[in-house]
Amino acid sequence: MRKNWIGYAFISPWLLGFLIFAAIPFMTSIYLSFTRYNIITPPHWVGLANYHMLLTGDPQFWKSLGVTFRYAGAAVPLGIVAGVTLALLLNLNIKGMAFYRTIFFLPSIVPTVATSVVFMWILNPQIGLVNRVLKMVGVDGPAWLQSSTWAPWSLVLMSLWGVGGSMVIYLAGLKDIPVHLYEAAMIDGAGPLQRLRHVTLPMLSPVIFFNAVMGIIGVFQYFTEAYIMTHGGPEDSTHFYALYLFERAWRYLDMGYASAMAWVLFLLVMGVTGFMFWGQKKWVHYDG
Amino acid sequence: MTDNANKLLRGVLAVATVAAIAVLTIKVTARPPDPPKHHRIPVRFWHMWTGEWTPVMNHVVAEFNASQDKYEVIPLLVPSESGSSNNASSKFLLSVAGGDPPDCMAQWSQAMSAWAQDGILSPIDPLMTPADKAAYAKCYPVVRKNGWYKGHLYGLVTAFDVYACYYRADHFRQAGLDPERFPSTLEDLIADGRKLDKYDAGHSLVRMGYMPETFTNYVPAYGGSFYDESTGKILVDTPANLRAMSSLVKARDVVGNDKVVRFESGLNSGDAGNWPFIGGQVSVQLDGEWRVQQIAQFAPNLDYRIAPLPPPSGGKSLSSFSMVDYLTIPKGAKHPEGAWEFMKFWAGLSDPARAAKYKVWFGWLPASPEMAKAPAFQDFVHKYPQFRTFMDLAASDNIEATPPVPLQVYWADRVQAADDQAMHGTLTPKQALDKLQQELDREAARRKELGYEE
Repeated sequence: MRKNWIGYAFISPWLLGFLIFAAIPFMTSIYLSFTRYNIITPPHWVGLANYHMLLTGDPQFWKSLGVTFRYAGAAVPLGIVAGVTLALLLNLNIKGMAFYRTIFFLPSIVPTVATSVVFMWILNPQIGLVNRVLKMVGVDGPAWLQSSTWAPWSLVLMSLWGVGGSMVIYLAGLKDIPVHLYEAAMIDGAGPLQRLRHVTLPMLSPVIFFNAVMGIIGVFQYFTEAYIMTHGGPEDSTHFYALYLFERAWRYLDMGYASAMAWVLFLLVMGVTGFMFWGQKKWVHYDG
Repeated sequence: MTDNANKLLRGVLAVATVAAIAVLTIKVTARPPDPPKHHRIPVRFWHMWTGEWTPVMNHVVAEFNASQDKYEVIPLLVPSESGSSNNASSKFLLSVAGGDPPDCMAQWSQAMSAWAQDGILSPIDPLMTPADKAAYAKCYPVVRKNGWYKGHLYGLVTAFDVYACYYRADHFRQAGLDPERFPSTLEDLIADGRKLDKYDAGHSLVRMGYMPETFTNYVPAYGGSFYDESTGKILVDTPANLRAMSSLVKARDVVGNDKVVRFESGLNSGDAGNWPFIGGQVSVQLDGEWRVQQIAQFAPNLDYRIAPLPPPSGGKSLSSFSMVDYLTIPKGAKHPEGAWEFMKFWAGLSDPARAAKYKVWFGWLPASPEMAKAPAFQDFVHKYPQFRTFMDLAASDNIEATPPVPLQVYWADRVQAADDQAMHGTLTPKQALDKLQQELDREAARRKELGYEE
């Protein structure tokens, strides 16, 4: 018994931190989502009013949800393709590979704020690097972040900049694939593409699935880049769900409404993740 | 070297490293020395004036402290994002929620009514003596119409921005225009703007003559408004507002939205000496009074003039939208009386001539006719005759303000979105205003359903 207490005492910093900064706020937000609350005056119970208005009387909610889903639909698959491709290239046996791996991994550890500020310049339609390069080959580049058509795609493009983080995980997955499978495939006469299709990708599928789930959870919380680079514009084209939630909470001091939004988001993420887990049986292979 | 010696050396190095980090950490995180103890009552004051404005702000505080034997203002700079008050507002709101707010805070956020309704601010008028009220009544209309909610004053206007046309005399001459004869109508000004435009060989704009932008800034000139005083509600979908938005869209279409967007994306931020007007990328710019001081500081030889925004046909002259800096007393302030002493000192209710000096230091406008007549302002106008236009605007009745309703922050965001959609051509001005009105009505209904008192 005494031993138990000593153990609890040792983990108490984490335990207290978790309770105070995660568990209690998490549970409190359930209650707050049924109230009108502005952080100054005590919460006032309004029942299901926040949820009702969210689902039936707030077009901005649906619009921000649409923006987030569209981004997820583009950024997550592209991120997977780019990450896997990069990992395959960096898995080749050529000289200086450690250097290349470091170079491709580095962007993923640059703070998002710094990356965002740099990309605002890179994508500047008038003086940005991308349009200057395009102009050199005779292409008049788009207005990127200043265009409601191109702004979401600019953010998708930018998301590939940080693909090094998932690339390292793919690389570790590739290293885990038993060599004898490739040897057997080669004996059977399989070419490089067939080995990729029938050995590498199936064996890598658990890692791809993991990155897909993490990617989906990440894009549903997409905030920093939009907050810094576009403020949700132009024309609400990058008004992501998390950004709208933040505005409701801190600009309009509608904490109850924002809490309701947070719980809808939580259920959505759980739903999508659950759907992915249900679907993974058909394409993820766990046995070697 | 033996293993033991190696271990000893590594141990010594590790201890030395930890000790060095500890010393550095303690040095960095050590609390600054406590301010000297005084017998005066401390009044904690938060503000957001960074850069070249911080010494000016500190100077005003020093003058107040020198004049006092009861209170001592302790200023604290709460930095915010450039051009926004978001960060500082969040810190302020958390301080109120935590029960330890400053006694006084300068606010840029146009959210006095919203914060008043939310119980974040304390009303100021109960602290006003009859003499204070009499002094307040002598202030310009723009000062008196801002900061109120449900019959109580929550924000004392310490500064207000109004907008007039800065124009480059040298560019006018280059384009064959007479800088001494500024266009008398907005339509003529827009037409002259095209004569002042400059393009490079690739047909990209390199100089913008004049482009009317920001819907709110042009509504007053068209006789429009955002607030229906008879109902106490926001009203945006009006014929005058529609005329304003339509004219802005029309002016933009002549150059082409894409060209304008690309040109503006390449401009500097506009802070201090980086203002594109100083850089020569813009010939005529509708901007605020504080730029006079900045031009004097960063481009003293600039050949420029200032004129009021010319009215459109059938519109109002000497008109402008206004953005206001407030002094507020948060709920839970420990020394509201001390805060009020400082507020009226700085805003000029207790001594307009003395406060005139502070306004001039900031490059701001006088709050009352009496202040305008003070030697400090007369000297300033003598030194910078361009400032006279703003002095005239300050006294005008045609100055519009943010609607004094709790919905005002949402209003500001959605107006900007509607402006954006109309300028990009996604919606016609009529559609944009209809949609805006629907959004505002829907939000008002939502708040009503939640039990907010509007």
